[in-house]
Amino acid sequence: MGHTSLEKIIALQKKTSRIRNLCILAHVDHGGNEYLINLIDSPGHVDFSSEVSTAVRLCDGAIVVVDAIEGVCPQTQVVLRQAWLENIRPVLVINKIDRLIVELKLTSQEAFTHLQKILEQVNAVTGSLFTSKVLEERAEKDAEAQSSCTENSSADQVYDWSAGLEETDDSDLYFSPDRGNVVFASAIDGWGFSIHQFAEMYSQKMGIRSSVLLKTLWGDFYLNAKAKKIMKGAQSKGKKPLFVQLVLDNIWNMYDAVVTRRDKEKVEKMVTSLGLKVMSRDLRHSDPKVLLSAICSQWLPVSRAVLSMVCEKLPCPAEISAERVEKLMSVGARRFDSLPEKTQELKKAFLDCSADETAPVIIFVSKMFAVDSKALPQNKQRPLTQEEIAQRRELARQRHAERQAANQSAESPGSALSVKAAVEEENKEHFVAFARVYSGVVRKGQKVFVLGPKYDPSLALRLPEGCSVADVLPSIPHMACCTVDSLYLLMGRELEELDEVPSGNVLGIGGMEEFILKSATISTSPACPPFTPLNFEATPIVRVAVEPKHPSEMPKLVRGMRLLNQADPCAEVLIQETGEHVLVTAGEVHLQRCLDDLRERFAKIEISASEPIIPFRETVIRPPKMDMVNEDLGKQQKVAVIHQVKEEQMKNPEGVQVDSTGLVTLTTPNKMATVGVRAIPLPEEVTHLLEDNVELIRTMEQFSLFAWEDKTLDINQKILENIQDFKVKLESNLQGHKWREAVERIWAFGPRRCGPNILLNNIEGYRRPSVWQCLEREKETERAEIRDFDNSIVSGFQLATLSGPMCEEPLMGVCFSVETWHMKISTPLAQQDSVDEDSQPAEPSNDDQSESSDVHETSSNRSRSRVGAAGGSVDCYGPFSGQLIAAMKEACRFAFQAKPQRLMAAMYTCEIMATAEVLGRMYAVLSKREGRVLQEEMKEGTDMFIIKAVLPVAESFGFADEIRKRTSGLASPQLVFSHWEVISSDPFWVPTTEEEYLHFGEKADSTNQTLKYMNAVRRRKGLYVEEKIVEHAEKQRTLSKNK
Amino acid sequence: MSIFTPTNQIRLTNVAVVRMKKGGKRFEIACYKNKVMSWRSGAEKDLDEVLQTNTVFVNVSKGQVAKKDDLSSAFSTDDVTEVCKQILAKGELQVSDKERQSQLEQMFRDIATIVAEKCVNPETKRPYTVILIERAMKDIHFSVKANKSTKQQALEVIKQLKQSIQIQRAHMRLRFVLPAKDGKRLKQKLRPLIKTVENEEFDDQLEMVCLIDPGCFRDIDELIRCETKGKGTLEVLSLKDVEEGDEKLE
Repeated sequence: MGHTSLEKIIALQKKTSRIRNLCILAHVDHGGNEYLINLIDSPGHVDFSSEVSTAVRLCDGAIVVVDAIEGVCPQTQVVLRQAWLENIRPVLVINKIDRLIVELKLTSQEAFTHLQKILEQVNAVTGSLFTSKVLEERAEKDAEAQSSCTENSSADQVYDWSAGLEETDDSDLYFSPDRGNVVFASAIDGWGFSIHQFAEMYSQKMGIRSSVLLKTLWGDFYLNAKAKKIMKGAQSKGKKPLFVQLVLDNIWNMYDAVVTRRDKEKVEKMVTSLGLKVMSRDLRHSDPKVLLSAICSQWLPVSRAVLSMVCEKLPCPAEISAERVEKLMSVGARRFDSLPEKTQELKKAFLDCSADETAPVIIFVSKMFAVDSKALPQNKQRPLTQEEIAQRRELARQRHAERQAANQSAESPGSALSVKAAVEEENKEHFVAFARVYSGVVRKGQKVFVLGPKYDPSLALRLPEGCSVADVLPSIPHMACCTVDSLYLLMGRELEELDEVPSGNVLGIGGMEEFILKSATISTSPACPPFTPLNFEATPIVRVAVEPKHPSEMPKLVRGMRLLNQADPCAEVLIQETGEHVLVTAGEVHLQRCLDDLRERFAKIEISASEPIIPFRETVIRPPKMDMVNEDLGKQQKVAVIHQVKEEQMKNPEGVQVDSTGLVTLTTPNKMATVGVRAIPLPEEVTHLLEDNVELIRTMEQFSLFAWEDKTLDINQKILENIQDFKVKLESNLQGHKWREAVERIWAFGPRRCGPNILLNNIEGYRRPSVWQCLEREKETERAEIRDFDNSIVSGFQLATLSGPMCEEPLMGVCFSVETWHMKISTPLAQQDSVDEDSQPAEPSNDDQSESSDVHETSSNRSRSRVGAAGGSVDCYGPFSGQLIAAMKEACRFAFQAKPQRLMAAMYTCEIMATAEVLGRMYAVLSKREGRVLQEEMKEGTDMFIIKAVLPVAESFGFADEIRKRTSGLASPQLVFSHWEVISSDPFWVPTTEEEYLHFGEKADSTNQTLKYMNAVRRRKGLYVEEKIVEHAEKQRTLSKNK
Repeated sequence: MSIFTPTNQIRLTNVAVVRMKKGGKRFEIACYKNKVMSWRSGAEKDLDEVLQTNTVFVNVSKGQVAKKDDLSSAFSTDDVTEVCKQILAKGELQVSDKERQSQLEQMFRDIATIVAEKCVNPETKRPYTVILIERAMKDIHFSVKANKSTKQQALEVIKQLKQSIQIQRAHMRLRFVLPAKDGKRLKQKLRPLIKTVENEEFDDQLEMVCLIDPGCFRDIDELIRCETKGKGTLEVLSLKDVEEGDEKLE
């Protein structure tokens, strides 16, 4: 295909019916009438399947390339699904058929069966996609029917058991050579054909109508030579199928003559019979491949086969299906019907795809890509540095903020506009939006709305009628107005500048980086809905923490990460609460590219990527009944246990008493107050319940807070119901005499007042307002008494739950029950206090009472010490409220330690699709990383297994990569955080019983995984780690230096 | 009288001597290097891994063993193991290389952790990670002093770090309610202690929400308590004003 001039392309762009937007979806490696074909090639590696998503969205059709030997790979399934989800029409190219001949040495008959199998596999994938969709629709219908049924239950129910599959026609979904949507090819040798070509060829030769041939050329038909008839049942009669006889045999003969036997005479004969002209230079060439491609590219040129298929079978932009339009326009779960009327009208514009002046412009930007500024046609003279871009971004951000501020205060946006004009002057873009026009004509300099993915068209429609783009925009979230600066034609890596682009074309738009983050919809009509978000097959799973080599370069890193986020559709960057900058990528390969981009393009600093911080939780459990060798603990003689307990009690500092049931009593340093606390493990369901209802707990907390200040907070009825529901569920889960009235007696939740730990008020004779008081608004007449310092106890509990004694990680699933609380101070303190203070002006000897606690505390944790009312009494130990907080915290910690402590690990669920042959290796990787298989099932009709497993987050670093490597890419895991799980082994375990001594030896040399985790966290935090500096005293290197 | 000539030198290798003076006498025990600190911290539980020999010496390098009478008079027991344990626990020793190294390392990390917990990046209002602080501390060539508390050193290092990276003590958010008559007077006094005032309402009483440097908390607390005679209330809304939750960069 010769080079086409720009003018011609522009002319062709205007003929919508002559446009084909398509992309190549290939897993294998691959080598391109007057149609304008916008060809978007997409990478095959799993890590970059986000690129596929962005490409598929802009296309109407796709060429799916399948390797003739490997058949359907996991990635092939992925791309087929993507094409399906976007409702684009695929055509199939089965490539590398030459390998069947040359490498596998199949006979033509075998090759035919092989090809048939591949086709079946591909169709099976499409079929299953179709089935699932039909069944889904069916389920939806059923649900609707059911709801209508319940309304008038008298209506007799007739169940229709056919799943609806029979009624829905799916025949045009499948790939079949006789439908013309399959091409057999060998790109390396330059040939490719569809059945049409052969059908026409032979209809002349054999005098059989081409339509008949077309139907019979693929399938179980054979030629009865005597009767000159095409008969069915080639397989059963042991005859050569027509496809083999007429098509494959010819090709096989050709390879045989040219490549295998190098029979010059035969080749010449074949060439002349085919009416081709082969240059003698090629004939004499020593490499038979040269000759082969010389012949084949004339006989069956691959470009003609593929391009004619593309032009005939793939739709032009104007043929966009109504279904697809609706799908594109309805965001998320919103149904198309629920969109505003004006928006629904736009559907017509989509369907028309007209390039009229009047038609509204609708453009979808699927990604932003960074272009080296030199490549931009209009500023080849002056390259733009990264700093300038960032600076401009910053300006834009400011401007955006200003605009919003201006909008909110409803001022005239004059100032903002002038700033804009000033900046526009030097605004030369670096990011180019990769987009497609769905309707109308977009022109350079046109004013358009840029609609973010979360934009809601119904907001804009509340505007007064006749509001055009040029009008001042009132504040509408996720909507911006801008001018189209420049339009580009994308020609490979080259960009050509255009003045206007009519509908149906793929284009690049410059100057959008301030308005568009990753994807957006551009329109002249505010009624236009944002397009549905892209379906990303690969969710980002590989997490690393990124830090600059030099800490002072932090701002540069942040800026670079922002740019990266914009340029890469699949990369995610976030700052975690711990202050870590985390980069989440789709895979190890993708990660590498992102890091390189950061280093060389966006941040331009040295960075180091490391394993991200892994969170843990601490909890207590019921005392175990079995020891480590699964023997009953009760009967055995405990060898060392007594010794240990003795030691532990010695460790407790003064003022702490621990009794045998785990009740800890602790007195404040000034001996004024004593608290008794016991730690109890919460049932697992309760912990889950608490976790799921954080929002409700927060609301309740807020209500209590307001009540504390004698105000009321209005909570709507629905939330109240939810709270009631939550309470009932808690009650049903907390049963047994240990938990009697426990729900009523809940004092607080923690940490941060809404976490998965409970503080119970089991103090006799102390009734404080319940946390459920928002439910009992009417009954508020009998107001319970709140003791002074109530808050100190709660604060102490909050502090204790925020960082546990094992490795200062938050607690989870622990209930602290306060059983005693004695105070020696009489309640009304206020007056006494003030006298006190005059005489003794607060000596801050225990300098940092509040400071020492603040280290562990975070913002939401409010220690409401009321200076005047409560925390007033000051002695040499600091304010009393502070002492009580510290005492309560310590008491909780000791109570926690008095129980069997365990670490909880965050777990990923991981779904792995793998073929049978790699199953073993995959299990090896899983078990090496402490993973556990939950279920394993075979996918119907394929040889794929779907394995569901859980894996500790702590072990997940590098997991995805390892599993891909070990299984040659045949298994690809998807990791999603699922839950917290108690690690069963005790971090403080030492062999105690005789059995354990026998089994593990005195020192328990086998590694304790929990201890390892715990020590790693402690070491990271700079806490004391109990480990010997040298393990064996005698094995030190003892030579002195001066010898 | 013959002159004592050493036939060959015997060097004590792999020996750490722990000394203790008691009852006017000096006692020594011979221990392995790098083990005494582990014993004291409780990490090492096997006495045989700590002691070279179960004997109490007067002078280890000369090999002079302490007399039984001296032991029983000084320690009021003649159980050698018991005496060894006492000397191990309370005696003085030359800290050996690895022990010192690990001690300093731990202190260094401890300081970094304290800094990371107390400070935020003023731009993002988010904490720095410990690793980053450690790196920054190394960049400014901070050296740990073993005899100063880690907290003290942490506060010092924050000042030094301010020159190389953007760092700031996390602010405390306070709310106080002052009676109207004291309000005006107190406000003047409080002003220099407050970093930023977030909210201020003055009708029948003065209500203020403000951010302060944690170092000023005691002064403010005292000021309010003394000046208002217990009528003003002070509430700590948050001890550390940091951003919560994860933020997606966009």
